[in-house]
Amino acid sequence: MIGVTVFLKEIKAGVQTNVYGFYSLTAPKGTYQMTLTYVGYKSIVKTVEFDQNKTLDFEMSDDAKLLDEVVISTKKEDDNVKNLEMSVNKVEMKTIKKMPAFLGETDMVRSIQFLPGVSSVGEGASGFNVRGGAIDQNLVLLDEAPVYNSSHLFGFFSVFNPDVVKDVKLIKGGIPAAYGGRVSSILDVRMKEGNNKKPEFTGGIGTIFSRFAYERPFYKEKGSFIVALRRSYIDILAKPFLTADLKKARFYFYDFTAKTNFKLNENNTFYLSGYSGRDVFGTDFGFNWGNTTTSFRWNHLFSKKLFLNTTIFYSNYDYALDSDLKKENNKDSFRWESNIINYSLKPDFSYYLNPKNTLAFGGQVIYYTFNPGQAVAVSAGVGREIGLKNKYAVESAVYISNEQKINNWLSISYGLRYSVYNYLGKGDAFTLENTPQDGNRKKVTSTTTYKTGESITNYGNLEPRFAFNIGLNNSSSIKLGYNRLAQYIHLLSNTVASSPLDVWTPSSNNIKPQVSDQVALGVFKNFNDNTYESSVEVYYKTLKNQIDYIRNADLLLNPALEGDLLFGDGRAYGSEFFLKKNKGKFNGWISYTFARTERQITGLNNNDWFVSRIDKTHNLSLVGILDLNKTWSFGSTFSYATGTPASFPTNKFLWQDIALPHNFTDARNSYRIPDSHRLDISGTHKNKRAFFSKKGESEWVFSVYNLYNRKNPFSVYVRQNPDNPAKTEAVKYSVFASIIPAVTYNFKF
Amino acid sequence: MKKYIIITCLAFSLFSCEQVIPFDIVTSENQLVVDAWLTDELKEQKVKLTLSQSYFDSTDLKPALGATVYLIKQDSSRIILKDNKNNGTYSFIPTTKDYMKQGELVGLYIKYQNEEFYSASKLNRVPKIDSVVFENSSNPNGPPSSKYPKEGFLGQFYAKDPTGEGDTYVIRKTINDTLKNKPNEYQLAYDAGFSPGSKSDGLTFILPIRQSITPGLFRDKDKVKVDIYSIPVEAYYFLLQVRQESQNGGIFATPLSNIPSNIFNRNANSKTKALGVFIVSKVASFETIIDKSKAKPKK
Repeated sequence: MIGVTVFLKEIKAGVQTNVYGFYSLTAPKGTYQMTLTYVGYKSIVKTVEFDQNKTLDFEMSDDAKLLDEVVISTKKEDDNVKNLEMSVNKVEMKTIKKMPAFLGETDMVRSIQFLPGVSSVGEGASGFNVRGGAIDQNLVLLDEAPVYNSSHLFGFFSVFNPDVVKDVKLIKGGIPAAYGGRVSSILDVRMKEGNNKKPEFTGGIGTIFSRFAYERPFYKEKGSFIVALRRSYIDILAKPFLTADLKKARFYFYDFTAKTNFKLNENNTFYLSGYSGRDVFGTDFGFNWGNTTTSFRWNHLFSKKLFLNTTIFYSNYDYALDSDLKKENNKDSFRWESNIINYSLKPDFSYYLNPKNTLAFGGQVIYYTFNPGQAVAVSAGVGREIGLKNKYAVESAVYISNEQKINNWLSISYGLRYSVYNYLGKGDAFTLENTPQDGNRKKVTSTTTYKTGESITNYGNLEPRFAFNIGLNNSSSIKLGYNRLAQYIHLLSNTVASSPLDVWTPSSNNIKPQVSDQVALGVFKNFNDNTYESSVEVYYKTLKNQIDYIRNADLLLNPALEGDLLFGDGRAYGSEFFLKKNKGKFNGWISYTFARTERQITGLNNNDWFVSRIDKTHNLSLVGILDLNKTWSFGSTFSYATGTPASFPTNKFLWQDIALPHNFTDARNSYRIPDSHRLDISGTHKNKRAFFSKKGESEWVFSVYNLYNRKNPFSVYVRQNPDNPAKTEAVKYSVFASIIPAVTYNFKF
Repeated sequence: MKKYIIITCLAFSLFSCEQVIPFDIVTSENQLVVDAWLTDELKEQKVKLTLSQSYFDSTDLKPALGATVYLIKQDSSRIILKDNKNNGTYSFIPTTKDYMKQGELVGLYIKYQNEEFYSASKLNRVPKIDSVVFENSSNPNGPPSSKYPKEGFLGQFYAKDPTGEGDTYVIRKTINDTLKNKPNEYQLAYDAGFSPGSKSDGLTFILPIRQSITPGLFRDKDKVKVDIYSIPVEAYYFLLQVRQESQNGGIFATPLSNIPSNIFNRNANSKTKALGVFIVSKVASFETIIDKSKAKPKK
């Protein structure tokens, strides 16, 4: 379990378990009351004799019913106030599972959008935006391996199977030195380990997906594994309704997730986990894309104080298009594929120096291969290989940080990360014409070819991190955090929502790394014996070397792509209000964010600052969960957000009878589309057993998305009326423009 | 390709909708708009001058009257265009196809209300169309519409891009004497492919371009005329953006941006700018009437 507080009452000292559930505490010889606490779990109090080095392992019970009982010998769940973390949101999977889900499919990425500071450019768009950052500025980690496209079906569903996720943590600020590589946030998703006591089946039959997972212990409970599969079946359901030539149409998506762990002895534990998912569309024309990740981890205890985790991971995102899936036409065809592959080694040490100081240090090396697009085109029998050369890069980092408890009311953490990036041959470096950037395409004036392994260009960044926690009293604290982050790879996307075809591209001699600086200040207070937790945070973030695009930018299969990019700065600031009720039959939270995010790009908007496309001034979310009784629970979510900015024409002109928009001042994003709001509800009915089994448990989940049938705008655009060419009009496009009910059956035995 | 689009849209169209909504915008001053697409065809060649107006203003656009318009040839000779009907359409009728020569840079001069504008466009080569062929085809999943039959004919034209990178074209079709002129009805080509990245120099036009002459399906006895217009590369990008900005909806829309013009004020410091574009094209045409007895069998 991650983040359990282990506390010694007598000396008022404590630590938290790390991401592998490991902790270490040093105290003078004596007898202590040791308390283990974790929100939503029964606390453990144990009298421990500190006379020699000892290993104490605990199992915590997550029986949710215990939450109803008021008198448990719990220590206060005041972790949010006491620890150094700020700008961090954790959502329990069991909470996410009770929230109403689109088409009944529990979705982590959608759920985190109810948290303060998190938004999306529109319903159905891929990814999420954190504190005014673009979607590629979030490092999405699945057991430490990055996931490059976290969506199925263009953004309708996330790739994470809810049955396999143990813990989700979103770090928006005060990012620890151990993390780096993206400038806005870290979404750290940890997969759960298989049941190490007994074999177990879990699964669900939903409107869109079916899920199935199997887990069990092996080798005298020293190891366990879990395997899980999800597949959509719209294609199977739709088959009877399709006519002959669409009968063979393929449109489905699946993901396969697996994890195994093995505890060799007290000092060595191994984990191997992986994910592979794919979206497949096509009849005679085919399109598929997907991620694959594999992480191998080794936990090693050098001593009772020094802990090492070593991770080796592989991650791949690729897509392919094929104009002739059936291979019927060898005279005319087009095949195209693109990918990003990386391998990484990442050792992380934790050194529990004493109860007042915990050191973390380590490093990481990532080797990237980018295939921006390889294609074969055949026209009237003549074939031609088109496409771009692979690109290569190595990103490395070392870091050290310390978490220090100065006294009863002051804790600090400070760290430094140094990252180095090397853009490597074999490859070409392009020199662009040296003209002032006016928003138009820059031509390549010369090309230099580099040999394999030769350095084309390199960058280095010192990334300092600080955090302070000033305790005001037992239930409130003030926290201050600062971090600098550098990002060396970029997702090139010039559309409102990112598409699966968007290509990740490395920093080069023309594309500089993105760098962000963020300060955040927060006040944290708990009320009523920690029944309620609340926080107010303000942040200010600057972003350097942000990428934008010339008009008509050609981002795919374009060797001179770098000439189509524009560069500039960004800034984002805002305040986030959060009130959460943790205990009782009725719990949930209210989150309100007041924010702004802007860009200044040379060559756009007359070089002035403009509001970013992802800006939402007001963002309000309400989440309510009612555990009525042992059988029924209900969930409800409401969200409201200001409309996103958009550009509109001032004038129209006719050219060859086509009405075209023109903005006289060339202003970008000076309008806003209408506001969005939506109410979703769900009800869960628990049964004592699965219907085909005498044991286990099962549940029916009923949900309604968009209860009051609001047609929220995704975008508003202008067009010439197709039937009346004299008329020009504004059109509101809604992705979800109806009430969407769904039923899901989940089981476990 | 079309089927792929149908399936992708299927996923979205399940729940999505489009609605025309009122939207308030600030309007700004009107500008001179130049609509000048001249070809080497022996028919009336027109330069239409209008004034831009507020985007949601549905009244007819006002013509720009009283302008002086002429073409300047590379040998410095001039061809004067006159607004004979006093409706802002300045025209002349060439007497020979050779009034512009292949490879020639043709200038356009416009004087309107004390401001002088100029532009230039190069007359590029165009490949000839070898044939237009039809095959029997069915489109059972097509949108229910009386416009196109479910059983009909799929057409394609055959032409080969000449060797030498950077030829750009627009392909237009005239069906039963109606020119298909909506932004989604013309097809752009860079060499024989879609864009510079397709590296299709010297090839036969690729399949989706060859088939772009078929809107839905044809019926027997339909009259089909295919025209390839050679255009300068800046016109290719202009038309590419015309298509983008005139149908820029959905979740993969790009930010609205102004379409660049190749009409410049002679006084570079003047704040008065013109909109529109001047293009000269050589045209290759092929006209045929569909005869079902000659159509290839269904694949």
